[in-house]
Amino acid sequence: MSLKWTIWFLGCLFIGMQLPAQENMKMIPAGSYKPFIKGTTERIAVEAFMLDKYAVTNADFLAFVKANPSWAPDKVKALFADSGYLSHWPENYLDNKSLESSNEPVVNVSWFAANAYCKWKNKRLPTMHEWEYAALALPKGATDSAALTQINNDWYSRKTPKQAEVGSIYENKYGIWDMYGLVWEWVYDFNSVVSNDDSRNSEDVIEGLFCGSASLNASDASDYVSFIRYSYRGSLKAKYTTRKMGFRCAKSIQ
Amino acid sequence: MKSKTYLAVATLFFALILNSCTTSTERRIIDPSEDVKGQVRAVLTDAPEVPPRITNKSNTKVIVELEIIEKQMRLSDGVDYTFWTFGGKVPGKFIRVRHGDLVEFHLHNHPDNMLPHNIDLHAVTGPGGGAEASLIAPGKSAQFSFRALNPGLYVYHCATAPVGMHIANGMYGLILVEPLEGFTPVDHEFYVMQGEFYTSGGYGDPGHQDFDMQKAFDERPDYVVMNGAVGASSGENAMTVQVGETVRLFMGNGGPNLVSSFHAIGEIFDKVYVEGGSLINHDVQTTLIPAGGAAIIEFTCDVPGTLHLVDHSIFRAFNKGALAQIKVIGDENHNVYTGKEKEEVYLPEGAAIQRISQDKEEETGPIVELSLKERMEAGERLYKSNCMACHMDHGRGITGTFPPLVNSDFLQARTDKGIGIILHGLRGEITVNGTKYNNIMPAVSMSDDKVASILTYIHNEFDNGGGLINAADVKAWREK
Ligand code: HEC
Ligand SMILES: [Cu+2]
Repeated sequence: MSLKWTIWFLGCLFIGMQLPAQENMKMIPAGSYKPFIKGTTERIAVEAFMLDKYAVTNADFLAFVKANPSWAPDKVKALFADSGYLSHWPENYLDNKSLESSNEPVVNVSWFAANAYCKWKNKRLPTMHEWEYAALALPKGATDSAALTQINNDWYSRKTPKQAEVGSIYENKYGIWDMYGLVWEWVYDFNSVVSNDDSRNSEDVIEGLFCGSASLNASDASDYVSFIRYSYRGSLKAKYTTRKMGFRCAKSIQ
Repeated sequence: MKSKTYLAVATLFFALILNSCTTSTERRIIDPSEDVKGQVRAVLTDAPEVPPRITNKSNTKVIVELEIIEKQMRLSDGVDYTFWTFGGKVPGKFIRVRHGDLVEFHLHNHPDNMLPHNIDLHAVTGPGGGAEASLIAPGKSAQFSFRALNPGLYVYHCATAPVGMHIANGMYGLILVEPLEGFTPVDHEFYVMQGEFYTSGGYGDPGHQDFDMQKAFDERPDYVVMNGAVGASSGENAMTVQVGETVRLFMGNGGPNLVSSFHAIGEIFDKVYVEGGSLINHDVQTTLIPAGGAAIIEFTCDVPGTLHLVDHSIFRAFNKGALAQIKVIGDENHNVYTGKEKEEVYLPEGAAIQRISQDKEEETGPIVELSLKERMEAGERLYKSNCMACHMDHGRGITGTFPPLVNSDFLQARTDKGIGIILHGLRGEITVNGTKYNNIMPAVSMSDDKVASILTYIHNEFDNGGGLINAADVKAWREK
């Protein structure tokens, strides 16, 4: 084991000891990555942070709604969630055994709702760079990124049309489950790359997406799956909810 | 921005006035501030149908509702693919409006979809052809309006990043902006659109196929198809017309990569609206249709038979699926085409007419039977050189044209084990594994020994129940 590696490892242990035990969160070590949209040279540094091992489930979110009635499907302000909000929940969601034990990721949640949930948990939504960086980690046992492309591909092509449960797709090298292949996930600054507000500058959108497309060359054919993620984020507004989008929370390391 | 457009329009207008003595057909320039009268909901159709001709004589507000649906469908027999569609089929719904109409476009992204989408209509004058105004997440709708300023046949497609992938998955269709004077009436109008698919497996590999981005980069499609699937508009799904009827084809090419050398085997295009615009060419054999382009093609079907609409970059037609068909039904017209009048042996040396046999010597010798292993080896070679050109590798066939030899219920039901087919050929309607074929297989002249090897190979290698066929069996049938 190299010296550098050992120091890093000890450093992690040290940081780990400082933290209150975070159940179901894993530490993502500091590092940097080459984001898809920024062209080919600039690497983005990412500080170490904690990330939820699993996407937030229906059961988790139900607990949040019970504790915060203003986020109930029939009470939520139209400003904070569109009409699809939690529309997959049954009418009697407050007293529903299968929802209480549902291990499926919660979907049909707006960015506002996801943000509020994380705050309630004393956490926050991961930033886009944190999310992308953590998602780059290969599945345990995999040796190249083709494995990730395949997971994405299977998902886009709906080989399994039914919503899968959290912890069923794959675990990556950080011990995080299902970054791909389960649901789309909200990130804190989802609209930072391409914004879809009324004030948007169309030139930015074009540039953002097409610079990205120019960087797609035969050597990184697999990158198109990130391209899809970026365009997905670009189509969203913070109050939108969709049937295939959930979230997980993150936490900074002090 | 706006005033620039007006300026451009005005300049064009003047240029036209100045040029008017040299242009033969008069071009109408639409004044976008001109009023529209009334409102209609556009009739949308799936290929090969085309919406009815427009009868309205004034500028109208046309409402178009188009729904994006991602779904698994058949790409070829036994092959599934997850298509992304405008309206549930590939190609997308055909949209028909009139020059000068105001189109109010509503694009809906079905809530069960996985991805955001948008639409770029080449008929739109405006940023991104509407793409910029229509990017929508699943479960959302977008609305925008545009004025149909130029007549012609235009492609529309999804332009969401990565654009190539959205197109490669089937997101394209045609919008016709009918000229003010309308088209001359014809008996049939059809909608055909070519497009390629890049699949994880090769052509014909069974099961669900994924999109393969690397093949798309390399422009190496496994499938090149007409109307979204192999056989979508051929064989039993062929378009049909009567002898003497006129046809107008609205032919598009979605790409994403290939340019089509569009050709109809057995027909000459009387009239081609080049690239779908106003330039008309006559008497065309093959017309080039760029990816993201279209052409309007007119012809009269004078004689009965089947017209094969192909991409004349011909391996695409025979090996990748680029074939649609128009069946022309009716009586022969021998003044136009006689059919085969005679077939006889051609001997340049002028020798007496005799039966040609490539295997004369062998045939006269005594019959030497081979083992199963030997027959299989010989059969494989013979199959490749004598049958594969039509029945394809692994006996897959081409749906609607050349029947498959793999697990063929037709072959298995024959008491002659297929011997008669090779000796005498086969013509007329037959049904193989549920699909109808009505074509001609010529007789193949070869020795009893070779026929025995080929058939042994086909019965064993292609799942037709196995068994060993001997040269003596063939001889016995030949002498019947
Ligand atoms: C020129 C193209 C062509 C060639 C070469 C050809 N076939 Fe065929 N074959 C056909 C067509 C077309 C039919 C269907 C005829 C019909 O529609 O009646 C057919 C039908 C058959 C059938 C019956 C249908 C089925 O699928 O079971 C068999 C068996 C067959 N061919 C075997 C062969 C063999 C063996 C050879 C090589 C010695 C061969 N063919 C070469 C065109 C061809
Ligand atoms: Cu799309």
